[in-house]
Amino acid sequence: MSLLGLGIQYFRTRLLLLMSAVAIALGVAVLFTVLAVMNGFLAELETAIRDLSGDAVIETARTQNFEQHTLQDFEGWLADVDGIETLEPQLTWYGLVGRRGGRSVNDPRSADLSGLMLVGTDEDIAPDVAAELGPDDPLPMKMGVGAAKELGLQVGDEIGVITFVGRRRGRGAPLQRTFKLVGTFSTGRYDQDLNRAVVRRHDLSQLLRHATGFSQVIVRTQADADPLLVAVAIENRLQVVGTAAPGYRTTYDWRNRGGNLLRAVENQRGMLSIVFFFIVLVAAYQLVATLTLTVSEKRRDIGVLRALGATPKRIVRFFVTLGLLISVLGIVMGLALGHWLINNLPTVERWIGGGQPIFRAEIYKFDHIPVAVDTQSVLLLVGMTLLAALIFSLIPAWRASRVTVIKSLRKR
Amino acid sequence: MSDPLPETGDGIQLNAVGNPTDLRLEMPTLMARELCKSYRVGSGKLQVLRGASVDLYGGQICALMGSSGSGKSTLLNMLGLLDKPDTGKLWLHKKEVQNLGQAAAARLRAAGLGFVFQQFQLLPELSAFENVLMPRRLAARGWWSRRKEERRSAREVLERVGLQDRLHHKPSQLSGGEQQRVAIARALVSKPAVLLADEPTGNLDRKTGTETLDLLLRLGREESAAVLLATHDPDVAARCDRTIFIRDGVIFNQVPE
Ligand SMILES: Nc1ncnc2c1ncn2[C@@H]1O[C@H](COP(=O)(O)OP(=O)(O)O)[C@@H](O)[C@H]1O
Ligand SMILES: [Mg+2]
Repeated sequence: MSLLGLGIQYFRTRLLLLMSAVAIALGVAVLFTVLAVMNGFLAELETAIRDLSGDAVIETARTQNFEQHTLQDFEGWLADVDGIETLEPQLTWYGLVGRRGGRSVNDPRSADLSGLMLVGTDEDIAPDVAAELGPDDPLPMKMGVGAAKELGLQVGDEIGVITFVGRRRGRGAPLQRTFKLVGTFSTGRYDQDLNRAVVRRHDLSQLLRHATGFSQVIVRTQADADPLLVAVAIENRLQVVGTAAPGYRTTYDWRNRGGNLLRAVENQRGMLSIVFFFIVLVAAYQLVATLTLTVSEKRRDIGVLRALGATPKRIVRFFVTLGLLISVLGIVMGLALGHWLINNLPTVERWIGGGQPIFRAEIYKFDHIPVAVDTQSVLLLVGMTLLAALIFSLIPAWRASRVTVIKSLRKR
Repeated sequence: MSDPLPETGDGIQLNAVGNPTDLRLEMPTLMARELCKSYRVGSGKLQVLRGASVDLYGGQICALMGSSGSGKSTLLNMLGLLDKPDTGKLWLHKKEVQNLGQAAAARLRAAGLGFVFQQFQLLPELSAFENVLMPRRLAARGWWSRRKEERRSAREVLERVGLQDRLHHKPSQLSGGEQQRVAIARALVSKPAVLLADEPTGNLDRKTGTETLDLLLRLGREESAAVLLATHDPDVAARCDRTIFIRDGVIFNQVPE
């Protein structure tokens, strides 16, 4: 690389070359930041969905099944299935939910009643409410923000719940109970926030007079296990013990459940990457302009180099190297800037939003902007930028190699 | 060209193109025969060389005299493999070179041809030392080159042109004479067999020009390069070993009528 020194000299004396590097840096920084934020969203969504649905779920079409078998039965059947971290019982049922005292006064548009999925959880959703309550005490309930809004409910409001249990012939009487809204939650999934309420599993089980207290089993897998393989193994195992566990046939990989959303975000990430890669492309294209200018400005020097014995190939190599030098500088600056950006997002957010946060916690589930740097996409970004720089440098480099000594030295 | 064979003062018989006919002498380092070159100008054609023949010998300094526009630079370009003749043949070290491709010609230039231009043609971003180093770097094949040796020879040749104190000066920080001395050092750093100088003193004042010419002649002799020096100045030509003349695109060994 004998000409590298000359290239660096060009670099030092030409602000324009530096400007190209800055342009590339900006493109790389923006793309880096966008990718990091999108990856952050994906990672948080994954965690949220996993928290809610586990890695796999054991379900059955016939709800009675769950009243015949205890969690110990499942633990026994699945004892020799590898990769299971925990089995968590969950009780879900459907109920009609309405504001106590009829139509909401606050919001005349709100509905009177709404069919919600009641999720019984072992999580302590109301730490300051006693575990055992009298038959007339309201039970604690948390509701998805969407559902609460639709019913015009506020924290502290009392809620009436009506549900039916058609377990046995002649026992289909409606069950009623008063709940109290202790909080709302947001899963990041609009549909779930609209049709879910979380209650204590013990309360729900008592209300429904459920025999075992669970209607599905949430499976959490060990960190190094593939949830899909574990799900298949569980399904196979339950098939083998089929006589003992009639009808337990379905296990879901969590990806299936949150899948549509995740795929949408992944698609969006792909689209955004393409859109923002155009910034890099434009920056790299500016490299063509800069290098072309350098070539015509330096025609005489190129002629001298050719006279001194530089082959046309050598000239091509020189200008491509110059282009790569610029883009490497741009990439390094861009990654540094991007790194700073994702570490100072709240500040940047305030700059851009004029003092207001752009991401509102009520709209996006997260009260901070999640970021996750994914090495693979950064490498792809660097590779694509270098490739673009290489291809774009080839055009002016080829033109430089066509400079003839006699013409370039004649005019001065 | 049908003139009777001329004779030099020391009695050596010369052939039609001004070369000694004495067979004990070596072959010419650079040999050109019947070079023709024309340029397209507008819709017409300008015939600059019409069968120019030249022989250059190692250790001999030959002046090429001709008025401005007579084709001296054009001829030097052909001899230096910077341009291709329309017809005619060219041998460098007995190897036919007029049809070489660009890359092969460039490699030959790097290895065996040195140029000194009227306009100096130094690279303005580089120091004197880096300018002189450049031909060695370009001649180096592959990644692994003898950097130390290259740097030593660059420094050495700059010392020989008396610029040991100006190694790290940029061309803009040097006088015209100094710049041309850097150019001479650059032309000689690869120890070329042929040195082509196109009006090397044309851009210098009389005194500096004379000094620069002295240097060029001395180094050319020390290196025993085959030197061709284009000039329109008879005083310059008089100081060379031999003078050939160009007129109407043809080479003469004597002042043509
Ligand atoms: N590339 C070119 N295109 C057209 N005409 C040229 C070109 N190079 C040289 N000429 C013409 O050829 C003639 C000889 O030029 P040149 O070799 O530079 O003469 P000298 O060096 O003796 O002054 C001139 O008339 C010049 O205008
Ligand atoms: Mg000339």
